[in-house]
Amino acid sequence: MKVLLFGTCLVDTFFPEVGEATLRLLRRFGADPVFPQGQTCCGQPAFNAGYEDTARTAAAHFLSVFDGDAPIVTPSGSCAAMVRHHYPELFHDDPRMLAKARRAGERTYELSRFLVHVARAHEAGLRGRGTITYHASCHLTRSLGVREEPLTLLASLKGAAFVPMADAGRCCGFGGTFMAKLPEISCALAEEKAASVEATGADTVTGCDSGCLMNLADALRRRGSKVRVAHLAQLLAEGL
Amino acid sequence: MNGEERVRLFLENAAKAAAGTHLLPGPEALRDVLAGIVPPGVPVYCPGLTAAEEAVADLFPNRVADYADAAATVEEVFGAVAETGTLACASVDGRAVQAGLLPAHHVAIVRRDRIFAELDDLFAEVVSAPPTNLTLVTGPSRTADIELTLAIGVHGPERLDIIVV
Amino acid sequence: MNLGQTTLRFRQNSVRALEDVALRAAMKQAADTFGAKRAEAFAPVSDLEALRDRASGIRDEVLADLPRHVETFVASATRAGATVHRAKDAAAAREIVAKVLSDRGAKRIVKGKSMVSEEVDLNAHLEAAGMEVFETDLGEYIIQMAGESPSHIIVPAIHKNRRQIGRLFTERLGVPYTEDPQALTRIARGALREKFLSADAGISGANFAAADTGSLVLFTNEGNGRMVTTVPPLHVAILSVEKIIPSLSDLPAFLRLLPRSATGQAITAYVSVITGPRKPGDATGAKELHIVLLDNGRTEILAGESRDILKCIRCGACMNVCPVYRTVGGHAYGWTYPGPMGLILTTLLTGMAKSHPVVDASTLCGACAEVCPVRVPLVPLILQLRRRKVREGFPDPKERRVMAWFGRAAASPGWFSLGQRLAGIFWPLVRAVGGKDVAGRLPPPARIPFRRKAH
Ligand code: SF4
Repeated sequence: MKVLLFGTCLVDTFFPEVGEATLRLLRRFGADPVFPQGQTCCGQPAFNAGYEDTARTAAAHFLSVFDGDAPIVTPSGSCAAMVRHHYPELFHDDPRMLAKARRAGERTYELSRFLVHVARAHEAGLRGRGTITYHASCHLTRSLGVREEPLTLLASLKGAAFVPMADAGRCCGFGGTFMAKLPEISCALAEEKAASVEATGADTVTGCDSGCLMNLADALRRRGSKVRVAHLAQLLAEGL
Repeated sequence: MNGEERVRLFLENAAKAAAGTHLLPGPEALRDVLAGIVPPGVPVYCPGLTAAEEAVADLFPNRVADYADAAATVEEVFGAVAETGTLACASVDGRAVQAGLLPAHHVAIVRRDRIFAELDDLFAEVVSAPPTNLTLVTGPSRTADIELTLAIGVHGPERLDIIVV
Repeated sequence: MNLGQTTLRFRQNSVRALEDVALRAAMKQAADTFGAKRAEAFAPVSDLEALRDRASGIRDEVLADLPRHVETFVASATRAGATVHRAKDAAAAREIVAKVLSDRGAKRIVKGKSMVSEEVDLNAHLEAAGMEVFETDLGEYIIQMAGESPSHIIVPAIHKNRRQIGRLFTERLGVPYTEDPQALTRIARGALREKFLSADAGISGANFAAADTGSLVLFTNEGNGRMVTTVPPLHVAILSVEKIIPSLSDLPAFLRLLPRSATGQAITAYVSVITGPRKPGDATGAKELHIVLLDNGRTEILAGESRDILKCIRCGACMNVCPVYRTVGGHAYGWTYPGPMGLILTTLLTGMAKSHPVVDASTLCGACAEVCPVRVPLVPLILQLRRRKVREGFPDPKERRVMAWFGRAAASPGWFSLGQRLAGIFWPLVRAVGGKDVAGRLPPPARIPFRRKAH
């Protein structure tokens, strides 16, 4: 099955290892991933900051690059939420684009959702190691409603132990442009999150959004923490 | 919900809200219960507006005419709501609802046939002609304004006793 | 006490709050306690979603034809014997209240907690007119004594610990020192009892107003709301127009939702339903009841794209779960209403020019909308305000330049790759210019971006 991989601008620019892990996973589970080279960013930073025209430009570009019928898979809850929920809003008064946006939204899968519901990766008996805790990022859970899938995948890792963190669903303070506009509050929130991570005693913290994980990694580093931060795709790919 | 269940649920919820609860087998027991709840000799406001109030008024030798001077108010109230363990106090028949507010101890007599199952049932009864004042009372007066620590008895009663007859 | 709007300095305010260790601990404790209690209180409610739908539906119904509901309320309340005043703005509301009081020679005023009175800065105005105003909610009483403003809408003095309050009571009231909350509460009870009994007038807010009966509804716990509305001979209630619900029989839905959402109680200790002043044969109620219905921009909000914020019933649940609010507290927002609901209302009521930084005070995490009992679409409303902020030209030029560049890069893979390459080359510079708080938290760009490996 052909799937279109939307890497996201963050993964593309900062975390190619997450993209590579995603590719390996998709291939292992029988998909034929294609990375459209024309892709850029979903437009979320502009959308969230109120730059609607800019966001619309980015969205239109995305829709032309990801045109077709193949499922679109992305290792990011918040970018998937952008496409699924906000693209239709951006084109609400343009019937042709609206139809396109809706179709793209329906075709868009956040990676863990694809891995559980389509690829059934949790039945593959992947290996894992160590003690893992998980940050349930905001748009993934509240906007997309993806709550169980990452936990199902983690639970399926043979040889790894899962420990839940307190308030796993509380915002880490990343918030895209929030981090740049109100850095002090953002830092304070990330610190609190990092403390929750450390309190679990886990050696690895994972999640489904590179932005949050980046923010968290910084806060953990500042604390001098040895906890490893890895995207769920990385942990799963390591167990292949 | 039948009458028995309503009474049970009302008392259970009222007790959860820190009210003292008393269920009487018959009207005769009212005097005994009141004697046990209200310390002898304290100034009591008991307006004597209903038969039940009339019947117990002579229990209180130090009965005062002004609720502002009373340490306890003993009165029959308009009704109650089982859903929340709430008393409904209403300014009907010349009743001073604030008499259940100023004294530190409020003793409310509730007739079991005046216990509504849900809040909606109470409001359905009053909506066509609400009294000047309808006050729902659930437990004693309370606050958590200092360090979120519960303190009982701020401006209203610190003790609420409910007697179902 | 309203100390002048400082919303434009949201960031500076928040930095100051972040440095206040005691405040942060107290805020977190309050937010967590209320958050946990809220969840606990709703656990036994089996049909919660249906209940939220119903309450939300009632609020929608009100907003669909607010002027008609206001007319009905005015007619009903008048029929019940109240005098209803319509106040266009804050100044009008202050004037009306001051005139009602001074015409009757009222000098000593007891006051229940009312956010609307804070919104119009009523106390300062009445005090300037020579009246003594006593806040009677315990938290407000402490705050007033200390000359401060509330930091939390439900527990206004949350930022003060028991020792500070004990010392304050000793200093101001001349009582022996104690730090036992129960004992402090008893002291306040004694001090305020005398005020209630000697007051010329009481001022209250209202949580709801029923159009069909003209009733005012107040949810309280301490009993001061009951005192203020029944003990003095004159009662002045001030509320904003959107507090109206069509019928008194709609109240149960809100009785079930509001206290649970606010403090995690199944119901508040007291709910007062006041229909007109004392009538012949009554022994309860103020002899005169004046109701001031405040518009202060609501009609304009109603006509615009943000009208759904008027559904809000001020439970505070959205604040307690807001990561920003629970970290910086209420003072940072710089005006009467804090948190997600507050930043929206502040911007709409005081204008973008006086408040635009606060529309950024959200990570858009959505925790607020998840708990709102009446389904106020808080995240879409915040996004709308951000769009308006951009349309009206408030963001700084640097941000606009970055966004313009971003737009170009997002629409063109060539520019995008160039951007990636430049970011890599100029990374040390970006770090230096961006400062340690922002750029210092980003990792350096990958040497080879994913796109060049993804074949
Ligand atoms: S917006 Fe909703 S959650 Fe927030 S205060 Fe209003 S009613 Fe409560």
